[in-house]
Amino acid sequence: MTGPSPLPAAGRHAGPVAHPLVAIDTATRRACIAIGDGLGAPLAMRTWHAGYRHGEELLAALDDLLRDSGVGLGDLGGVVAGTGPGAFTGLRVGLATAKGLAYGLGIPIVGVPSTEGLAAASVEAGNHGDEPLDLAVLLPAGPHDRYLARYRRSDGRARTWEDALGHGPELVPGGEPIEPRVAGAVLVAIDLPSAPGISGEAVAAGARAQAGRGAALLDAGRAALDRGHADDVAVLVPAYVTLPRGITAPAGTIEWSRDPR
Amino acid sequence: MGDPATGLILAVETSCDETAVAVVEQGRRIRASVVASQVTMHASTGGIVPEVAARAHLRWIVPVFEEARAAAGIDNWSTIEAVAVTNGPGLAGSLLVGINFAKTLAYVHRRPLVPVNHLEGHIYAAWLLDPDDPERPAPPFPLVALVVSGGHTFLVEMRDHLQYRFLGQTVDDAAGEAFDKVGRLLGLPYPGGPAIMKAAAGARRHDIEFPRAWMGESYDFSFSGLKTAARRAIEARRGGEALDPESVAELAYGFQESVVDVLATKTGLAAERSGARAIVLGGGVAANAVLRARVAERAAALGIPLIVPRPALCTDNAAMVGAAGFFRARAGTRASLDLDARPSLPLVP
Ligand SMILES: [Zn+2]
Repeated sequence: MTGPSPLPAAGRHAGPVAHPLVAIDTATRRACIAIGDGLGAPLAMRTWHAGYRHGEELLAALDDLLRDSGVGLGDLGGVVAGTGPGAFTGLRVGLATAKGLAYGLGIPIVGVPSTEGLAAASVEAGNHGDEPLDLAVLLPAGPHDRYLARYRRSDGRARTWEDALGHGPELVPGGEPIEPRVAGAVLVAIDLPSAPGISGEAVAAGARAQAGRGAALLDAGRAALDRGHADDVAVLVPAYVTLPRGITAPAGTIEWSRDPR
Repeated sequence: MGDPATGLILAVETSCDETAVAVVEQGRRIRASVVASQVTMHASTGGIVPEVAARAHLRWIVPVFEEARAAAGIDNWSTIEAVAVTNGPGLAGSLLVGINFAKTLAYVHRRPLVPVNHLEGHIYAAWLLDPDDPERPAPPFPLVALVVSGGHTFLVEMRDHLQYRFLGQTVDDAAGEAFDKVGRLLGLPYPGGPAIMKAAAGARRHDIEFPRAWMGESYDFSFSGLKTAARRAIEARRGGEALDPESVAELAYGFQESVVDVLATKTGLAAERSGARAIVLGGGVAANAVLRARVAERAAALGIPLIVPRPALCTDNAAMVGAAGFFRARAGTRASLDLDARPSLPLVP
């Protein structure tokens, strides 16, 4: 595959590229890697129950998948990273790996909300026809709370999803019923068991979404790159819905020191 | 393609709250060392918030890496012998960022990946030379190393590279942690170490005595009893009022003396008994001038050198990981693609 290559200049620009893309999403307990051809069609995909072992398993799984698909590292033309929200450990592993790939190979990176990929995948696999559609994606936020994202597609054939909340995903505290918040939408429950307000259908939709999310992320990433949009690999971070516990405002800056002297 | 024996190690360290990348040559000469410190962000909360630290690592890892790469003038990976990364001990969420970033870069550029124990890094900081430093001999073996910081306090004997005989460690708080807690009780800013040292220097009377936890014949340390004694003394002195600056200075002096006395005495004793040819001091608390002076006295009495890296190399940095990583790389230590964070990784398995 690739020999020693020059280190990339930071912040490569996006642009139409015909090279294969790799998509990584680790926001849920099922990790997902997908490799798509130059047009965005999936060549190889793997989803597996990573639990909390993303750190051990992700890069080895990527290596296997590249080998199986016959795609060399040097062939890759971009990285699509699921940005959550979701499990912090998984997202840290996924984003650190995605950044390492994009920075190391000098290729563009596109962050796509994991919930958007899940929403899109739930429909692709769920066969809702061409009608307008409201979706509510629900997934765990820590041991007790849940993240809720809502997406709307007004034209059944459109591939783009509108954020129906207008401000991205939000946190639903553990004790709070979800029914009023998801009224009128098709519920997609990720990593959540059947419970009051969560039907077996919602759980099944969640399973379909997890299985198909790699293709959906590749699709979204390809569309972004075709529009000339990529994220800055230096600044891309997961979608955090809440501030860390004990922090009330994102105050303070990071002090830089360049050493030696 | 064989591994090039260029001696150049690219090192990544994210075990706590500093995002650090360095390039080090032959385990000694610093080519570049960049640290993004989160100190200012944590100052308002009086300590490290793990979730804040982990988020900041992910935000700063690429710019810090790029800065170090550019400063070292590395533009071709074929000159890099190995990528070294701290895999523990430390905060799980923080370690993960550096490990997975370094692992992916090593994978992409087909370079060996070398795991480094953070504690070992603190010891190997003693090997480092700044770009403009004259050559000087490497620390001689056998040696005794005392590592003291906000997270660790331990004493170890080294008879050769990467060979550690653990002598003792704190059974409760790390020394730096005790400085932080007592600093807070005294109404001093975080971090407590430098604030207490500064306050203590202003003391005019030196008659407040705090207890020393000698822990019998062992080389172990304990600072929780001292912390309790300090709290009682502070409350007694205060009597419901705010402490006056002179009391703060005297209490700070008494507390610092107690910590430094135990650390220096045990280190000197260990060096004497093991026939050490040098004493190495590392970790953030090694920046404390009183501790340095007191351990230096012990070393001088034994006729051996005390080696203390400059303060910026005593606190967490990646150059120390690059130094240890070089000797690990040459000893054949390798990690595979499944390298994961080991938050409680011991120095000696
Ligand atoms: Zn440290």
